[in-house]
Amino acid sequence: MQWSIAKAFPGTVLCLAVVLSACAGDGSDPAEDTLQAALLTSGPVSDAGWYAGAYEGLLLIEDSLGAQVSHQQTATPAEFDEAFLAYGSSGYDLIFAHGFEYQDAAIRAGSRFPDATIVVSGGGRVADNVVPLIFRLEEGSYLAGMAAGTLTQAGIVGMVGGVAIPPARGTFVAFEAGVRAVNPDIEVLETFTGDWNDVSAAKEAAVAQLSRGADVIIHNLDAASFGVFQAVREAVADGRRVRAIGMNSDQNDVAPDVIIGSAVIYIPQAFLETARRWEAGNVGGEPIYASIREGVIDFVFNPELLGELPEGLVQEIADARDQIRSGELEVPRVRFVEGDDDPPSGGSE
Amino acid sequence: MNQAELVLFLEASVRLGVPLALAALGETISERCGVINIGLEGSIIAGALGGALGALAFENAVLGVGVGAVAGLLCALVFAVVAVGLGADQIITGTAVTLGGLGMTGAIYRARFGATGTELSLPTLAGVRIPGLAEIPLVGTALFDQAATAYLAYLLAPALWFFLFRTPYGLELRAVGESPDAAEAAGVRVVRVRFLATLFGGLLAGVAGAHLALAHTGTFAENMSAGRGFIAIAVVVLGRWNPALVLAAALFFGAASAFQFFLQALGFEVAYQIFLALPYLLTLAALAGWVGRARAPAALALPWESKR
Repeated sequence: MQWSIAKAFPGTVLCLAVVLSACAGDGSDPAEDTLQAALLTSGPVSDAGWYAGAYEGLLLIEDSLGAQVSHQQTATPAEFDEAFLAYGSSGYDLIFAHGFEYQDAAIRAGSRFPDATIVVSGGGRVADNVVPLIFRLEEGSYLAGMAAGTLTQAGIVGMVGGVAIPPARGTFVAFEAGVRAVNPDIEVLETFTGDWNDVSAAKEAAVAQLSRGADVIIHNLDAASFGVFQAVREAVADGRRVRAIGMNSDQNDVAPDVIIGSAVIYIPQAFLETARRWEAGNVGGEPIYASIREGVIDFVFNPELLGELPEGLVQEIADARDQIRSGELEVPRVRFVEGDDDPPSGGSE
Repeated sequence: MNQAELVLFLEASVRLGVPLALAALGETISERCGVINIGLEGSIIAGALGGALGALAFENAVLGVGVGAVAGLLCALVFAVVAVGLGADQIITGTAVTLGGLGMTGAIYRARFGATGTELSLPTLAGVRIPGLAEIPLVGTALFDQAATAYLAYLLAPALWFFLFRTPYGLELRAVGESPDAAEAAGVRVVRVRFLATLFGGLLAGVAGAHLALAHTGTFAENMSAGRGFIAIAVVVLGRWNPALVLAAALFFGAASAFQFFLQALGFEVAYQIFLALPYLLTLAALAGWVGRARAPAALALPWESKR
């Protein structure tokens, strides 16, 4: 059900805006001293999650570093190249391409615009001026799995995803490992809907898992996550004791009545830190990792539902977080970055 | 699947099928008079946002559906003016309306609720349980414990069938779709018929969008129509441009979508993409055999100018 051509329109408008602003800037030549940072997303930034965090990061770079910023929403892979072309030829220094899907177009653009630096969120390919920004969200997702494994009374938990790209599968592999760390007998259901924004599909996927008896459901979706929360809400209204877990951004206040906690990436901070590193000349040739250790990944409980947590759970999660930070506990990963060839740990793939 | 799960599966099938049915029934009428409106997707997403904004403004889901219907109609009005009034290419115009609808709804949503979005909690259409019918084993609750928009689809299918095949107006409409020149010679006002049929299609697509936001998910998200306008056009073909069959085809498509979610939840270790492709494969199979004798209206998608 992906008719992504349909997403082209906003991108086209913004693309025009980029071209226009580039023309307007001709007289003053802002490229001389001002950082020019751009953001590409392949979905709407109004998802209160993955893309929203990137957009906030762009605005944070504008506020904190006085950068000139621009955002463009792209749809088809053909548009990826157009978007890189628009920014590369307008002299943008730092281009954040916020998603695994951009990695090939980024490599092409990187060789064409050697003066630009392209940061691909969750990307897997590396060049001198093309670097993946790898969010170790699986660390937060593992902690979420521990929480879910502790909270489930039915012994069944569920995961609803959009498209099974490696970063998304990685979060689910880690979630499952976290659940099994608590109790290896818990059943873990997995559904992919094929669309990050189809709220109805995500809702029905969650309904199907709830009907199988799942009582804690995590997602890895964009705006479609609203559908998961709605399904859980309706099950609660029917008298069931079920909970959801947020992902990507701190979604605890998106549905504070049913979200027990969120596996979060502090995307804005990661973007700002990356921009600072770029200014210091430290970005290039190797992936940037953002993990619990850097304070960019975490699992945060919903303060409004703290009262219903079993005793000791918050402390257990805090201990596991410390163990991940110190390297004592290694979270299983799905490896997809060039050169990321640490010996594979148990559980991944 | 045991019986309880089968019932849940059937309920999900109807929930997923109803918005397709509403949009496809409207499209059936416009295609029957020669207008293929692939701007349907634009009308659906406009209906979803219109429904959400209307329901928030009036704090009433039913009025929200009305606003959504009007929003869908306005999208179709743009299409009708350009494609029917000015005789522009229907496919290109429809594409523009769809892209415009998706872009405009995104811009309006962000202007109203902030660029990074929020989960709206909308007033929702309550389910209406039909006493007696809802007690039928297996299919009772699936068919007769649904939002009012579902019953609208059930009632429209036979009503539109009667209109198309048993009334003089329906005959005129079909004549316009088969041979607009002949229809004009017989005194039918071709442009007016096509205009009204297109607006009717937009109205129903708007209701379909409002159903997504107000009856199914209780929220709005950008791009939440997720290609349903295009699927609805496939449903029209599958239903052979016959409203009764179109309703059945829409429910069949809903069932195929629901099936994939249930299979995945049952834990089948098969690539999920196969499940996602399943409805489309079934449609292709059905198209190959079942719709073999079906024929599109002869003047479908052909721009027409009065010869007078």
